[in-house]
Amino acid sequence: MSTAQQNSTVVQFAALLDKPARPKRIVKFVFSDRLLGMIVPVAGVILWEVLSRSGVFPPNALPAPSLIGQTIVEMGKSGDLWRHAGITLWRITVGFFLGAAIGTLLGGLTGYVSVARKMLDPLLQSLRNIPSMAWVPLFLLWMGIQETSKITLIALGAFFPVYLNLSSGMSHVDPKLIEVGRVYRLSGLQMIRRVILPAALPEYIVGLRSGLGLAWMFVVAAEIMGASRGLGFLMIDGQMTGRASIILASVILFAALGKGTDLGLELVSHRLLRYKAQ
Amino acid sequence: MGSTGIQNSSLEVQSVSKTFASNGGGLLALEDINLHIAPGEFICVVGGSGCGKTTLLRIIAGIEHGYSGTVLLGSNRVVGPGLDRGLVFQEPRLLPWLTVQENVGFGISDRSSGERSASVAQYIDLVGLRGFERSYPHQLSGGMAQRVAIARALVSRPQLLLLDEPFGALDALTKIRMQQELLRIWEAQRTTMILVTHDIDEAIYLADRIVIMSPRPGTIKRVVHVGLTRPRDRTSYQLTELRKSIYREFFTDEDVPEDYEI
Repeated sequence: MSTAQQNSTVVQFAALLDKPARPKRIVKFVFSDRLLGMIVPVAGVILWEVLSRSGVFPPNALPAPSLIGQTIVEMGKSGDLWRHAGITLWRITVGFFLGAAIGTLLGGLTGYVSVARKMLDPLLQSLRNIPSMAWVPLFLLWMGIQETSKITLIALGAFFPVYLNLSSGMSHVDPKLIEVGRVYRLSGLQMIRRVILPAALPEYIVGLRSGLGLAWMFVVAAEIMGASRGLGFLMIDGQMTGRASIILASVILFAALGKGTDLGLELVSHRLLRYKAQ
Repeated sequence: MGSTGIQNSSLEVQSVSKTFASNGGGLLALEDINLHIAPGEFICVVGGSGCGKTTLLRIIAGIEHGYSGTVLLGSNRVVGPGLDRGLVFQEPRLLPWLTVQENVGFGISDRSSGERSASVAQYIDLVGLRGFERSYPHQLSGGMAQRVAIARALVSRPQLLLLDEPFGALDALTKIRMQQELLRIWEAQRTTMILVTHDIDEAIYLADRIVIMSPRPGTIKRVVHVGLTRPRDRTSYQLTELRKSIYREFFTDEDVPEDYEI
């Protein structure tokens, strides 16, 4: 849905560049969805800046946006930013790929082999009901406070959406399309490669994207609970030392990195699912 | 693998019966069906819902199992699906992630790419879709999508084209155009055609012979030789008489609508 909206905005921008009728273009831009969506946040930031500078907001609790930007720039200069963001990104990458890989494996197995689905799905579904944070003490006990427990937690977050979406996508392929494959005498492997996987791909990508979202959620949790590096550690550090600007800078960095990785996945999926584009 | 090229074989359906398991016993879907279809013949199978006409077609296509009797194409017994028989379903059933040309070439992926793209282009041409090779199914109208399905079924040069109510979901005007197209393709290819339909007008416009089936259990009630030249005038006296006589197979005299028009 959102891609379609973005496409229409892109088309509008393209029209903006091409057409000579100037006043019309400006009117069109002013009323475009993207601009309308920007009005409230931009106004909010300006208001926040004004209120913080004039002292209505206590600067130690809610520093001005410009101060937060300055903090990020300083962290970038000192190298702290790259050190902390780097380790966070590393944890996300390893955890997400691990969770997604296991999710893909089990999702593919239960999606294709109905016996495996009957055997494994009830167990996995019930494990899903355990709030993921409830695993933390056990993980810490088993794997200590080092990287292993953090990555396991992130992988767990990424695992379930990938597993659930791929499994349901593969087991709900339109039987009429399967029959087409049978008419053309596809072998089991050919059927998977040429009919089942392409048919399940949209759901699989939805799973990957929500898995990535959960991986980001869990990396924050893992780093807040015990780490000596990482953006989550920075937040706790900011809290301990009473520097709200560092906490807010970390929040913004988390948002930017999360959005960035999701955008990457969206671009890949856009290419793979371009047959759906109108 | 059947022989490729123009040489077609006759189809022999010998005492085919099929029972569907249902709660409280079996449902006899087909009982003792016997049919001989000559190479190049255009057969329409007409009947109401539940008369087993689709089941018969699926048995010939080789995707229905657990029946008694024999189906022979030439001297080969039909035991499963094969490229010597093309099948067109009521819905186009195109793979939405493939373009028109990829859909048409779906069943011949084992051929060399040069041979494949030549065949695909030829059959896209035959069904009148040149210029739409790279379109995706969602960009096509219902009639165009069904043309792609026909091209996909024909691209392996089958001896037999099986069509299961292929125009049932199309609007009346598109349907008439598609019937004319199908005749044109049949005349160009001389593929044996078996078309299942509940539309009597469709059958009398297209068929050399019409196989009328009746339900519970599914049996062949009558086989009508049409014996009129093509193109047929849908409003001609002979066709009207023929339509009346076929209607009498389905309705008693009082029930026959006086002035039925499509």
